[in-house]
Amino acid sequence: MTPMSGRFGGDSSRDSLQPRVVMLDKEVEQLVTRFLVRKHAELDRLRAALEVSDFETIRRLGHDLKGAGEGFGFPELSILGAKFELAAPAGDTTQIAVCIASMELYLTRLQVRYA
Amino acid sequence: MRIAILEDDVSQTELLSHWLQLAGHNPHAFEQGANLLRALERESFDALVLDWNVPDLSGVDVLKRVRQRLHSSVPVLFVTARNREDDVVTALREGADDYMVKPVRRLELLARLEALSRRGQHGQEQAEVLELDVYRVDCQTRTVLRNTAPVDLTAKDFDLSVLFLRNVGRLLSRGHIRETVWGPNAVVTSRTLDTHVSRIRNKLGLTPDNGWRLAAVYRYGYRLEQLDAAASQRAVQTDDHKAA
Repeated sequence: MTPMSGRFGGDSSRDSLQPRVVMLDKEVEQLVTRFLVRKHAELDRLRAALEVSDFETIRRLGHDLKGAGEGFGFPELSILGAKFELAAPAGDTTQIAVCIASMELYLTRLQVRYA
Repeated sequence: MRIAILEDDVSQTELLSHWLQLAGHNPHAFEQGANLLRALERESFDALVLDWNVPDLSGVDVLKRVRQRLHSSVPVLFVTARNREDDVVTALREGADDYMVKPVRRLELLARLEALSRRGQHGQEQAEVLELDVYRVDCQTRTVLRNTAPVDLTAKDFDLSVLFLRNVGRLLSRGHIRETVWGPNAVVTSRTLDTHVSRIRNKLGLTPDNGWRLAAVYRYGYRLEQLDAAASQRAVQTDDHKAA
């Protein structure tokens, strides 16, 4: 699976409707399922943090996302995490909002298949 | 390998633990530096994998205490998202043996841990045939020769012998010994462990008059030491004195 470096957040409207299929080993299914549940939950935490300008929380969540995403098979999430981590200390609310939307879109499109 | 992981991100901990277990290692996860340091006072590990940013003590603070206060030379691998040159330099200068930037790759992580293990044991860790003093241990045939004569050992006694002979001079905690020889889920009483240790001490002649000491360390574990001639003589005299 190749990283979508440079493309993330700039999907065409047609592209954004397509599922993002990721193939992973069966042995990691439970691990990945738990990971994705946590990431979905973190979307709410990110929105809430943005609402109150809690940039430290956003930075921290981004830092962890950057560190873990690719290892689980989702390099796009690591890229997003890095963007959060850069945007948060700068107080760049626009970029943070874009990243949250991108993360939500990614997780919505994501289809994980296990072999 | 018995590996302690310091990491406060649940996802990262699960991932690293999963990789390590698949590779046959025994990971032990800690979310806080203070908890890891407390564990290190009573348990031994073959390696530490440290994150930098954890809630209480940073990975670097933990490393400093491991090296300076605990005087431990346990191999340390930093696994952190910090990627600045001065972070890497700081960790290495404080005593880390290697440094990886997240997101880490599974095979690379495992290979680096294996490399650390090799460095720590001067190659004994990986050797299929171990030759030490009068002992020759063949891990493939699972045989031990002492002065060319075969030593009759049970399977567990063989594994225990290998563990000690691969870690001469190193203090091994009871937990570490249990986990390595009997597996992470086995229930092994202290008495059973002591009995096995006593048996291999006798069968292998790991006694001061032979230049060896396999000694219990109170409330911790055991250490196998090879004694020089003077130390051996002193140890024999001490044992004679105690016996008298």
